[in-house]
Amino acid sequence: MIEFRNITKTFNAVTVIEGLNLIVERGEFCVLIGPSGSGKSTILRMINRLIEHSAGEIRFAGEPIRSFAPEVLRRRIGYAIQSVGLFPHWTVEANIATVPRLLGWDAARIEARIAELMALLGLDAARFRTAYPHQLSGGQQQRVGVARALAADPDVLLMDEPFGALDPITRDSLQAEMRRIHAETGKTIVFVTHDMDEALRLASRVVILDKGRIVQSATPRELLHAPANDFVREFLGKDDYGLKLLSVETAGAHMRREDSGAVAEAVREQDSLRLALSHMVALKTDRLGVEDSTGRRVGLLLLADIVT
Amino acid sequence: MTRPERRAVGRFLMALAGFSALLAALPRSGPLFARLFPQLDRPLYVQQPFLDLVLAHLWLVATASLLATVVGVAAGIFVTRPSGREFRRLVETLSAMGQTFPPVAVLALAVPMIGFGFWPAFLALALYGLLPICENTIAGLEGVPPAAREAGLGIGMTRRQLLRKVELPLAAPVILAGIRISVTIGIGTAALASTVGAVSLGSPMIVGLNGNNIGYVLQGALLVGGLAIVIDLGFEAILTRLRRWTA
Ligand SMILES: Nc1ncnc2c1ncn2[C@@H]1O[C@H](COP(=O)(O)OP(=O)(O)O)[C@@H](O)[C@H]1O
Ligand SMILES: [Mg+2]
Repeated sequence: MIEFRNITKTFNAVTVIEGLNLIVERGEFCVLIGPSGSGKSTILRMINRLIEHSAGEIRFAGEPIRSFAPEVLRRRIGYAIQSVGLFPHWTVEANIATVPRLLGWDAARIEARIAELMALLGLDAARFRTAYPHQLSGGQQQRVGVARALAADPDVLLMDEPFGALDPITRDSLQAEMRRIHAETGKTIVFVTHDMDEALRLASRVVILDKGRIVQSATPRELLHAPANDFVREFLGKDDYGLKLLSVETAGAHMRREDSGAVAEAVREQDSLRLALSHMVALKTDRLGVEDSTGRRVGLLLLADIVT
Repeated sequence: MTRPERRAVGRFLMALAGFSALLAALPRSGPLFARLFPQLDRPLYVQQPFLDLVLAHLWLVATASLLATVVGVAAGIFVTRPSGREFRRLVETLSAMGQTFPPVAVLALAVPMIGFGFWPAFLALALYGLLPICENTIAGLEGVPPAAREAGLGIGMTRRQLLRKVELPLAAPVILAGIRISVTIGIGTAALASTVGAVSLGSPMIVGLNGNNIGYVLQGALLVGGLAIVIDLGFEAILTRLRRWTA
């Protein structure tokens, strides 16, 4: 879907990105992570030509990005940023409708799309449709920001630390929404963060950057089990490394297919082992039932299965 | 309309009604001024109808402010674009110079060049009104949140669309506040225009000052003051509407 071929970026003779090669496949949730100044935003903004690359070639949907007019390219690529950037003089619905209007959709189609997106992002249309951005909380604003980015059903969604300014509870629920939206829509997402827990939670692939170079590119599991070097190990953290390992394993993959009718409490198949462990500690128990997404019991999870 | 908007419009309409009443009453107020100033032979200005003076005054201010607005806003937009950034200092200096010249001086300088009447007054007013409009346009455009600009471009607006749909609407209250300052000053300054032969509400005042007729001066001043209040409240009403989306 997106391909960087030997990309270099220099700002006033300072090289910020050097010889970058990266392919983001269709449907991937690719998370770029690295310390501040490692070039994450620069890489992201080169994709939609908010920043022009200095050398090499970037391809989007098989074509060099410079074969598109910038605004044509950008209308096919959603963009959401930490500071959100809603238009303060427009209502929520007008903000969401920005790109469809630019593309000249008819009114009925825009109406339907606004309703669909507000439902997708968990925004109460009756309350918020005609509200102005200053009337919304930070989390609600970012929901509108993401809805606006998705409005014209773009092929790719770019997100630059979108939840970085939110409180932990709001961030948590928006991360869950993003996982669900990715699963439901199958969109290709390139997501920038400096929060490793966020990366492990969301990514189908994590790309670790340092000083404008890729240090490691791997699935969350591969990353945790085989960090490429000390920089990555450092970045993964020491104190809660074990919990991070648990966070990329699901209850469904570790449960026993046994009847758990005798156990009162349960987690879901797709919940992480980290969550299951937390519940066990809180409930002072060494076993939990496991249910599928319809709530049917499918197995039993023991503390011993988590640790081994 | 929201409540503050209704209130602002209400205040404007009240002022307008008051001003209309004043304008209607003034031609019939000869006896009143005769009692106030018994020493005057002719206490009421009758050389031209007051309504004509008000309309001439308004026409002068409106046309000059329109020119100042077009030039000031265009210059403000130009120097905040990447291509015009280097001209910003120059434009700011020029418009500040326009403001430093006392309007009387501009009038005095303009007469030898373009003669007496409407045009020197028009020129002086337009020059004098340029600075607040230009400055406020620049301030308004610079006050646009950078995030809104980045998001607008990032989701596919062209620079022109960004200007028209985002930057100008967001800057509009500040720009209009500049126009309001400019027009309010203009209404006062236009009275001076009668010194170079333009017809305005300054006409009775100038005649009154020359002929020692305080009645004429008072009648002109009342109308200028009333007009300034009406126009100012009109701007206030529009500004309240423009600021609807703010906290
Ligand atoms: N417009 C710019 N001009 C000059 N240097 C820049 C510009 N944008 C980014 N940089 C530099 O490029 C490097 C990478 O920046 P950035 O991509 O924003 O990093 P990150 O998003 O990972 O924090 C930094 O050293 C930054 O100072
Ligand atoms: Mg960044």
